[in-house]
Amino acid sequence: MRKIIDFLIKNVHKLTFSFLLLFSFFQVINKNYYQNSKFNFFSNSTINSIKESAQIFSEYFDLKKTNEKLIIENNFLKNLKSISADDEVSFKNIDTNFFFKAGKIISNSIKFSKNFITINKGLVDKVSIDDGVISDNGLIGIVNNTSSNFSTLISILNTDLNINAKIKNSNHFGSLNWSGESNEYINLYDIPKNANIKIGDTILSGGMSAVFPEDIPIGKIENFNLPNATNYYEIKVKLFEDIGSIKNIYIVKNNFKEEINNLEKLNEEY
Amino acid sequence: MRNINQIVFLRFIFILASQILVFNNIYILGVTPNIYLIFLLIFPINYNKSFFYLYIFFAGLLLDFFSNSYGIITFSILISSLLRPYFLSFSFGKFDIGKVRKTTDYIKDTSLYQKITYLFLMYFSHQFILYLIEVFSFERFYWIIEKTILSTIISIILSYILLLIFFKKNAR
Repeated sequence: MRKIIDFLIKNVHKLTFSFLLLFSFFQVINKNYYQNSKFNFFSNSTINSIKESAQIFSEYFDLKKTNEKLIIENNFLKNLKSISADDEVSFKNIDTNFFFKAGKIISNSIKFSKNFITINKGLVDKVSIDDGVISDNGLIGIVNNTSSNFSTLISILNTDLNINAKIKNSNHFGSLNWSGESNEYINLYDIPKNANIKIGDTILSGGMSAVFPEDIPIGKIENFNLPNATNYYEIKVKLFEDIGSIKNIYIVKNNFKEEINNLEKLNEEY
Repeated sequence: MRNINQIVFLRFIFILASQILVFNNIYILGVTPNIYLIFLLIFPINYNKSFFYLYIFFAGLLLDFFSNSYGIITFSILISSLLRPYFLSFSFGKFDIGKVRKTTDYIKDTSLYQKITYLFLMYFSHQFILYLIEVFSFERFYWIIEKTILSTIISIILSYILLLIFFKKNAR
């Protein structure tokens, strides 16, 4: 026993270091597989409320920009009935079985390859895991964790996230994935060779998942190429939304998600 | 003359606050300048090692909370704190740990090249581990190297300026 205590005293620095290193390593592991983990240190309410008050400062500098954006959106909503289908991308085709709720981003990052966002709505506001988050002109991410007043999202600028999308004119669908390079561009894969695409075509969200409603604008085709010996295009899409500076968002909740999930589960059983 | 514990604590507050409130919002070519490493760079050499690791750990944890990065900064800054003595003796020569109290006493009469070497080694290793842990695979090695070099250059320039302005007396 004495020897053990002697050993502990002698190696206290090394032991502290190893303990702290292991702790941080488990946090990193949690990040990569955290859907399975119950213990999440990073959706802590206290820290998030500090974050929120720090955000108030930076919000103040963006007031003018936010106002302009809101005026444009307001104007658009007022004119909604007079816009024809071929005009600029619009919200009017969106299904009514989705429920929208406004929220605010309180912390965001675009510097990593796996980015996460924190928003100020949580379980109290009936946000649940796998809800989609959009802004007035683009997708933002998918909720992966909730606490009582806050939630974190997997940002669309995260290399692990694949989102179903389609081309507006031809309705061919593929999957969106960020390459990690620039925060203004995102890549669209799996569009077949026979699709008639050209630079400047609009990309909309496809209705293949229960997360996002159909026909939400995402971006425009910047350029595309057809790799040798494949039948699918690789398309570079310029995002309409600047993810780095976005403040106001809407949480989308599918009213029939449970029903859809149950139905899909039935299929798996057979 | 302030107590050494006070100096360390004030640095902790000041450097972390400026990183979280100011430098986390600056994007240059897709990377943010990571000036928080200054806290480790000029940490007193002759300090209780357990408390040194604890300080570094909590600094990393706070930074992780505010940039939504789930422990990767904590992990890489702890590794950097382990590497620091080797880089110090590599760039400034061997030293007697009992005699120096502050980092400044130790690197006072050294040339600019030695200081830049120290900064480069610390920043490069830190950024490399940071991005490697962040991506968690060797698949995107080119991306990791590119980001590492970019952020190393930007951070070194900014932190050298900051060191000259704010920490001239204590550590140069």
